[in-house]
Amino acid sequence: MPAQVRRFFISLLQVILLTAAIVTLVFAAIGPDPNHYFAGSALQLELLRNTPSPRIILVGGSNVSFGLDAELMQRKLGIPVINDGLHAGLGVAPLRELQEHIRAGDIIIISLEYQLFSSRDVMEGDLTFLSDWIEYAPERVKYLSDPWRDTPALYAIMLQRKVNRQVNTFLFGGSLNDVRDVFIGTHYNSNGDFIGHLQQASTPRRKISFEPYPVSSVEQDIFNVLEQFHQFAHLKGAQVYFEAPASRRINCENTGEASLASFFKTFNEKSTIPLLTPVEEVCLPDKYFFDTAYHLNAEGRRLRTERLIENLTRLNASK
Amino acid sequence: MLFNSAAFLIFFPVVTTAYFLLPHRFRWILLLAASCYFYMAFIPEYILILAVTITVDYFAGLGLEKFDGRRKRWVLIASIVSNVGMLAFFKYFNFANENLAALANFIGWNYPIQTLSIILPIGLSFHTFQSLSYTIEVYRGSQKAERHFGYLALYVLYYPQLVAGPIERPQNILHQLHEEHHFEYSRVTDGLKWMAWGMFKKVVIADRMVHFVNPVYGDPANYDGPALLLATLAFGIQIYCDFSGYSDIALGSAQVMGVKLMKNFDHPYFARSISEFWRCWHISLSTWFRDYVYIPLGGNRVSELRWAFNIFLTFLISGLWHGANWTFIIWGALHGFYFVLSTLTEPFWRRLSAVTRLNQLPRLKAGLAMLATFSLVTFAWIFFRAESLGDALYITRHLVSGWPSYLAQSWDTLVQGIQGIADVGLYSIVDALFKIAEPLTNESRVVIALTALALFILLAIEILQYRGNLLEQLDQKPVILRRVVYASLLAAILILGTSYASVQQAFIYFQF
Repeated sequence: MPAQVRRFFISLLQVILLTAAIVTLVFAAIGPDPNHYFAGSALQLELLRNTPSPRIILVGGSNVSFGLDAELMQRKLGIPVINDGLHAGLGVAPLRELQEHIRAGDIIIISLEYQLFSSRDVMEGDLTFLSDWIEYAPERVKYLSDPWRDTPALYAIMLQRKVNRQVNTFLFGGSLNDVRDVFIGTHYNSNGDFIGHLQQASTPRRKISFEPYPVSSVEQDIFNVLEQFHQFAHLKGAQVYFEAPASRRINCENTGEASLASFFKTFNEKSTIPLLTPVEEVCLPDKYFFDTAYHLNAEGRRLRTERLIENLTRLNASK
Repeated sequence: MLFNSAAFLIFFPVVTTAYFLLPHRFRWILLLAASCYFYMAFIPEYILILAVTITVDYFAGLGLEKFDGRRKRWVLIASIVSNVGMLAFFKYFNFANENLAALANFIGWNYPIQTLSIILPIGLSFHTFQSLSYTIEVYRGSQKAERHFGYLALYVLYYPQLVAGPIERPQNILHQLHEEHHFEYSRVTDGLKWMAWGMFKKVVIADRMVHFVNPVYGDPANYDGPALLLATLAFGIQIYCDFSGYSDIALGSAQVMGVKLMKNFDHPYFARSISEFWRCWHISLSTWFRDYVYIPLGGNRVSELRWAFNIFLTFLISGLWHGANWTFIIWGALHGFYFVLSTLTEPFWRRLSAVTRLNQLPRLKAGLAMLATFSLVTFAWIFFRAESLGDALYITRHLVSGWPSYLAQSWDTLVQGIQGIADVGLYSIVDALFKIAEPLTNESRVVIALTALALFILLAIEILQYRGNLLEQLDQKPVILRRVVYASLLAAILILGTSYASVQQAFIYFQF
């Protein structure tokens, strides 16, 4: 190798190693934030690993974490119940994670937000949300739709968010809790339910959008993922059900009764997963919602959980 | 392919390594294939447009050398018509058509031609101008016709400058493409340093500015003067860092392979006059217009009135080159107006600075001239960035609105901040400054703070470069310090950059 080329590669290697050292230092020095809303996912993962089967696992976006009461279900049904709901922005990655923890006798109730059915990109999750989620368990990188493609960008985003957090602490002396409102990672109970919002009123300050739910176009990809999940769970000896996401009456009206009915009809046609929610129970009165058209308040959460228990009991009794 | 994409991170080292490993006689094939691949990453079929242009210009070049007199002129005209025709069709057809339809509607005529649904080929204006300069230079006799079709194709397609320049002249680049370049440590490392600096400007500064510009320019009616001004200033920084960042990456990547492209930016925001600004901003385009439009129109060897007309027309065409929209035409016209007015009033300014004794304070005079030039340029950016002429006029009208209440509020906040020092220390001032900045943007304090840090780095390096050759100065420092500086630059790109989401921000000038 000519001397100039050798010299170049040595210099390049030195710069790359120094850059890697700086980046590693940042990663090592700034750990995951215990107050981030996604910190609850570490507890949920622990529950998935350590809770004995048979058990009920509720999985989905924040409509599950905010709007289902695993603790109440556990009391009433007498078997362990885990709330594994977190955020719709993660797409189907939590579903892929759950797949690794399915055991014989488990009952899995999936409740995905409507937007996951509307586009493949949404279904695969947003890299920013995914980077926050993966920060609490780095092995989760394998649940990305294309780990080879997305991992470099994901870690770059994670690096930036770590630095942003640290700059915030340095400059303003505190955590980001003020801007996080109720979305704080320590507000989970031992079943994985998010409980930070239960004592809070659904005040007018929390204006909820009247946007219709995106049910007009449904992608095939999500059904492929659900079917693969269902078959895998079936082979493991687990049962899988689908529960409609918490849906607000006014948004349902803006979506259109026919559109919603058509969505669930399509679901029943394309999926072998039984739908737990009777169509007439999908939409709940506006007063039961907290801050988004998917987040229930304490009363709404109780009502939806009780209905779910009834539906589940009825279904099992009929078997 | 975008320079700030993961694909380029693989493409560049692979092509460069192959380039140095291949014998010289095969290198043109490699570069041509790589350039086609680079271009076809956008819309593959559009490579055919380039194939047509190159073929026409190849035979035109040969014809221009073969023929004399009227036949030679006809060959040149044929080449210009085919190049400009392509540009006119893809870039200006819909604009002209819409304006004609509006005019017909105004006078009550029935206008049947529909708008075409066409996507503008990426970098069309750049490679068209580069092709044009080849046939014009061959016509003028300052460049021999290229007999090797492959090298002429490479001249047009050379990937570092294919989609956003610099717009090269054949005299500068064709012979370099023919020459054999060996691996040279200092040249290669300098090229990589330019690429890193260009990337910093793009992903750390320009893409960060997007968040301050887009919300305001997307809906200007929701904002007052202070926010409109901040967004306009941010756009001035964004476009500079975006475009000069692209040029630095282009220059650097070509330099690694031994090709020296022309400098495209030379600290334009430190210019002390509009004419100096245009000697420092998008130099390859300014000199193109100077050589192929302004001078053929008569340049300055004509009456003052005709000269003013020549300048104005050149800027008007330059505005139109940037985009098929009235906003760009007005942007060009504004610069033409600035240029003519500043040249005509130069004796007045000289006399004024003598009378006010500003001459005796050269630094203050230079500073004021820079500020005045920067203000004029920034004002013109409103038309460049606005999404419609209506938006641009709204912004110019409301640029002065809302200031009294904002300034009064800011003053109160600042006073409270100063008074709070006794209780909470200097944090009180920091908090006050953020409270002053917050009403101007929707961004969080962290983003504002990191943007301020990134801008500080940019300004410091620009000043150091302006005062002398920064790379040479750095080369005098100990090796370990240099390595730390370069590693910090790369780490800053990773940590402060904002383009890592699945969709990168494209370079602004790609659309032209």
